[in-house]
Amino acid sequence: MPFHESFLSWLGLMIVAPPAALLAIFFAAFLLNRRLQEEPIGRLIQGTISLSLLAAVSASAIMLWHRVAHHAIELGDWVITPHYHLKFEFVLDLLSLSYVMLTLVLCAVIGAFSTRYLHRERGYQRFFVLFALFLLGMVTASLSDTVETLFAGWEMVGLSSVLLIAFFQERPSPPRNGLRVWVVYRICDVALMLAAILMHEINGAGDFDHLVGDRAWPAHDPLLIGPHFTMLGVLFVIAAAGKSALIPFSGWLPRAMEGPTPSSAVFYGALSVHLGAFLLLRVSPVLDSSIWLQVAVVVLGLSTSAFAYLAGRVQTDIKSALAFASLTQVGIIIAEIGLGFRYLALLHLLGHACLRTLQFLRAPSLLHDHHQLENAIGSRPREEGVMWEQRLPIKVQHWLYRFSLERGYLDSILENWVARPFVALFRSLDGLETRWARILDGEPKTKEARDP
Amino acid sequence: MTDTRQHLAHQIQHAAHLLPAQGPIGVFIHHNTLHAFEHQTFDEAVRTGSKVFGCEPYLTEDRYREELSRGRILFSELRSVLERDLGTQANETVHGLSSRLDLRLAMLQHPLRSGDGRELDWFMAETDALLKARRDVSEVQRKRLITETRHWVMRRLRGSLPGVERPTWIDDLFLRFKETRIEDWSDASWEAFTMSALWEVCREGVRIAGERTPDSKPMIRHRDLMDALGGMDSDLLVNDVLIRFCAAFLDQGIAHWTLPERDRGFYHAFNTMHREGGTASAWWTAGLREEVARLQDAGVSALACIQESLDALGVKADEVEDFISATLLALRGWGGMIWHVEQRADRVHHAVPQDSLIDFLAVRLLLERFAVREAARVSLGYESDLTTMRAELKQRLPSVRPNCDKQRAFLVFQLAQVLGWTPEQLFHLEPQAWVVLFDEVESFTELDRRRVFHLAYEHRFRVQTLDALASRAGKNVAPKERPSFQAVFCIDEREESIRRHVEEVAPTAETFGAAGFFGVVMYYRGAAAADFTPLCPVVVRPQHWVSETVDKRLLEEERRRSSTRRRLGMALQSFHGGSRRIVSGAFFSATIGLLATVPLVARVVFPRLTARFRGFFGSFIAPPPVTRLNLERSCEKPAPEESGHGFLPEEMINIAERILRDIGLTSGFARVVLFFGHGSTSMNNPHESAHDCGACGGGVGGPNARAIAEMLNDPRVRTALKLRSIEIPVDTIFIGGLHNTANDNLTFSDVDRVPSSHQFEFEVACKAVHEASVRNAHERARRFGSASLGLTLAAAKRHMEGRSEDLSQVRPEWGHATNAICIVGRRVKTRGLFLDRRAFLVSYDPAQDDAETAILARILGAVVPVCSGINLEYYFSYVDSPGWGSGSKLPHNITGLLGVMDGALSDLRTGLPWQMVEIHEPVRLLFVIETTAQAFLAIMEKNAAIKTMVANAWVQVAVMDPVTGALSVYHSGQFEPYTSQAGPLPVAASSKEWYTGWRDHLEFAEIKTAA
Repeated sequence: MPFHESFLSWLGLMIVAPPAALLAIFFAAFLLNRRLQEEPIGRLIQGTISLSLLAAVSASAIMLWHRVAHHAIELGDWVITPHYHLKFEFVLDLLSLSYVMLTLVLCAVIGAFSTRYLHRERGYQRFFVLFALFLLGMVTASLSDTVETLFAGWEMVGLSSVLLIAFFQERPSPPRNGLRVWVVYRICDVALMLAAILMHEINGAGDFDHLVGDRAWPAHDPLLIGPHFTMLGVLFVIAAAGKSALIPFSGWLPRAMEGPTPSSAVFYGALSVHLGAFLLLRVSPVLDSSIWLQVAVVVLGLSTSAFAYLAGRVQTDIKSALAFASLTQVGIIIAEIGLGFRYLALLHLLGHACLRTLQFLRAPSLLHDHHQLENAIGSRPREEGVMWEQRLPIKVQHWLYRFSLERGYLDSILENWVARPFVALFRSLDGLETRWARILDGEPKTKEARDP
Repeated sequence: MTDTRQHLAHQIQHAAHLLPAQGPIGVFIHHNTLHAFEHQTFDEAVRTGSKVFGCEPYLTEDRYREELSRGRILFSELRSVLERDLGTQANETVHGLSSRLDLRLAMLQHPLRSGDGRELDWFMAETDALLKARRDVSEVQRKRLITETRHWVMRRLRGSLPGVERPTWIDDLFLRFKETRIEDWSDASWEAFTMSALWEVCREGVRIAGERTPDSKPMIRHRDLMDALGGMDSDLLVNDVLIRFCAAFLDQGIAHWTLPERDRGFYHAFNTMHREGGTASAWWTAGLREEVARLQDAGVSALACIQESLDALGVKADEVEDFISATLLALRGWGGMIWHVEQRADRVHHAVPQDSLIDFLAVRLLLERFAVREAARVSLGYESDLTTMRAELKQRLPSVRPNCDKQRAFLVFQLAQVLGWTPEQLFHLEPQAWVVLFDEVESFTELDRRRVFHLAYEHRFRVQTLDALASRAGKNVAPKERPSFQAVFCIDEREESIRRHVEEVAPTAETFGAAGFFGVVMYYRGAAAADFTPLCPVVVRPQHWVSETVDKRLLEEERRRSSTRRRLGMALQSFHGGSRRIVSGAFFSATIGLLATVPLVARVVFPRLTARFRGFFGSFIAPPPVTRLNLERSCEKPAPEESGHGFLPEEMINIAERILRDIGLTSGFARVVLFFGHGSTSMNNPHESAHDCGACGGGVGGPNARAIAEMLNDPRVRTALKLRSIEIPVDTIFIGGLHNTANDNLTFSDVDRVPSSHQFEFEVACKAVHEASVRNAHERARRFGSASLGLTLAAAKRHMEGRSEDLSQVRPEWGHATNAICIVGRRVKTRGLFLDRRAFLVSYDPAQDDAETAILARILGAVVPVCSGINLEYYFSYVDSPGWGSGSKLPHNITGLLGVMDGALSDLRTGLPWQMVEIHEPVRLLFVIETTAQAFLAIMEKNAAIKTMVANAWVQVAVMDPVTGALSVYHSGQFEPYTSQAGPLPVAASSKEWYTGWRDHLEFAEIKTAA
């Protein structure tokens, strides 16, 4: 192996190692029952991200210089059985490096922001532990070259996001909303898990290379045809839809605004919400295996975008308005992926993440900005645009407005037709079991109490 | 409309007074959070308030005890406060064991554990509560308790002596402790035995004293009952729909698509929206569509609909008002905002129709009908009629009796230990004595204890303040020479420090304090502003308009610049709007999205540099620096049009005379007199306006200072003032300026008009006040944990500048967080006193007032409501931050340009966020007024607003005799002389020397240089 290749491998590890070390420090402090002060935490975060970012930039420079488009870093196998092997493997290519650099830059900004924003907050350390977990998850997921590595990162991102939504645990609504997001995340995790199993069934390994061949992203050997690939694609799309709040899972997005401003900015405005799109980019060859799958992805993306645009137009609070604006663009990015515009989708994703983070961070300045704008323009800033809805018949207008205000009824649809029947089913099974247990215990029937 | 309907509407209006009175957040006006209860005394009001709103009236007992242990509350003072509170009852003994005073002091001093019966069971079983005496029982006391019990047991209880009454529980105890080996019992066993005996005797006592049902929370609403039974919270269901609808209804410009039919009212819009579609709406709303259609088709009015709902929910006529109040308070922020916007249409761009609150209530009750029924069905299995629901659910409530008995016994058990009541003494109590004992202990409730603690807490501060003022009595005669310059600041307690620093930097200068609108009541429009803003206290509605225009010579330049501003503004607007749309959003983010990293990184990492950079470029498009106020009007009537702007000369003369007489500056003018308004700039702060000038109604007071200076410079005004016996020397000039309380920048207006003869003096004054502002920044920096205590002056100033431009800074400044005192009087009485930014300083010269003290009356008429409003808002927001205040700022989310929510769906949060009040000491404002007791009582009689605040103890008042300097303190209707026990104040060479190295509140001190 030429020197630059082994150096690249080392650099690749140096991207992941600092966040992992950071988390280890936090856990060690926890085990030793030591409370870290604000300042050391701030410096730790800065140091970690700077190191990772430095490694990522150098790796990109070396790859450009030596014209390496694809570099895999194997970390060895985790489990080997005759039919399966699980292994840790990272990859450096255009997609992984750009996403990891985006992650690091935004996390650096948010880290610096949060050290001041959360000053004197009781949950300061907790916030940064979750932040570190999120960072590690994002870095792992973006560099992963096997589906199991991706899953590990994916889970860390999900867990930390949910705990950050529930950050203000002394009020009832953040944990409640966090729980709802958690349920949606678990559903999409199941899809990703099934996809991983299916990949192993197909290839005996979870390596993306086995699917797409050794050529650098987004090119691949067009050999993936068959119903199992379509199935795989469907599972990936479900996983992505949960994470990126696509239809019908969009209801969780505004609920995620319960956390402190910086976490909603980076997680739901910028990184987490794009992770689904990233997954689809990573496995895009699978999407190419079936035209129907592509069509489905495009339709899913466009309808999410249209829905989010409608819902966003009627939002009256700045964070929800921005969240739906974000979702509008995520929908478009998904559609672009479905259409096969991979580079465009990547560029769109990167630009959008940065832009939206800035907007989210400035959200509390809205009144100030509004006032300044008013002064500059000399009148009240009003959304000019096309008021197209006013050309609709009045009844349709009302219907559409309410549809948007109720966020497409997505929450109640899931609740009415999935969650409640599900709970009811298990309640009745529980009742059945209790009755049987009583009969088996030989208790007389008269004692039977009413089911709660 | 029938009479019953009218009555109902009246009841709703009455209930509406309970709603928070806070208006749109863009103009933040401080007011007493419990304004609705001002007719009660402070203590009654906070109790009522805490019942009605479910918030804390005082700090927690633990918190006060902490203050007691660190000396912020003195035990001796706690004792005297309690003695005074009890009056003649203090020394009555309670059932012969202890005096009432001792009993209550013990209850204050020792934390008494209480809790649910099950919690106590656990506590008894798992801790050493029954094995050892409490740790706060003194060694002597403990020994005595054990010895006496031992004597009792050994002499009387062993065996069965004839004629000796034996407790019923003693045999059980003997069995447990192995009585047969009683002579070998260790000390520890005896201690455990004593504790167990004490516990048993207390339990017996509860049985003897008889039952007492605890006050339970009144369960007015169906939801309260369901909550108590562990059912589903129907408010969650209702709020989910209602909050979104309220926000859409009130939105002032965030949504791109406004609620259809909004102008026809809340009720109408709701019904219209909900009669179409919605097959997939929330599960519990089944049937809502048909109901709404029926209401609309039958033309049922909102009031009629409320009546229907009340009937359906089984609310009887006599509980309607309570029910309505409780229902409105379930979403008080939104309800209050609707009520406010309905009343003050002038404060918003998009007003709402009259009776919107009635509409709101109608919709709320309509939804509640559905939500309550479904929630009760699903979670409690309640299927029958809604009308009888509350009665039937009440039956299901579990009894609280056994729990309650244990709690009562435990209370006496703990007190017996700290007060040394032996089991024997308690055992011999007559049944009647037990009743008295329990009454006595239970009548001094937790709330009473907190009230007494609070009085002692305030007492300490009042004593410190009055001692500081008393120690200076007789000192400081005003200097006879002409001052080098004079500076008038706002009365704001944040200006106390800068005034002190001005006097330290320039000992020959004089400073004054006047309400920051300086008597100029106007609607003002800056050269680069779109609209007029009122700059005067909220209670006044301005009759005059003043605008700023660019100097004639620069008009062309300004036209060019304003069109650039306009174009840039439009571009920015379409960019922000566009980024939320589909196609333009995709275009922007894919093309220039990555460029957003530049401002992102720059603004977060280098806030101060970025701000300077932006300021540099901003200066090219800002209006040219030379502008003029349109201050003089020629036509008779003022009007908002250009020609009607300004004041008539006669009006200016009156304004000028009034301000000079108020502050007592009628002679001895310096060559340069500066007026400073104040305001504050901060980033990412929805509550920015709360840091602006309260006397300007949450506006920036610079234009007022500029206007008053221009008026006073007017030769016609001076001539007229001379006739009214105020002679301003020809060589005196007035200059207006602005103090930014966030970054401590000082700016002056109309500098180009300073004549060359005064250039030198002006520069000297300028240098002095700038130096003072840097020192002021340094003094402020000590209160911020993120500024190191060792900062140099210049570094502290830079820190403050960075702070106010930092997107991530949630504490740009502390605002009024240190307010505690308001001193009305001559500056000589306070000059050279380090007041730690805690005092509003109002200049007033009693020697120049008439016999009726008319000047004082008009000063107090404005100052008392404004300052007490600020003080009480801080009090409440601090005492219960999530309750009265708006909790932590971190999850705040601006809604409808009107207020903030927590997250994406919550009630509107009113009051101040925790990050603004964190360092506040919640004490009622202490007024110290330089006048006589008779004069003050006379003013109180004449002014109802002042009387309410003072007589009901919402503020504390002391007066300082103008001649002798003797202090007396107001106490229920009269003044009692105050004699200071303290020696002289500590002396420091400069403010800096005194505050260096200290972050907390500081004691008062004498500063030599400024004196």
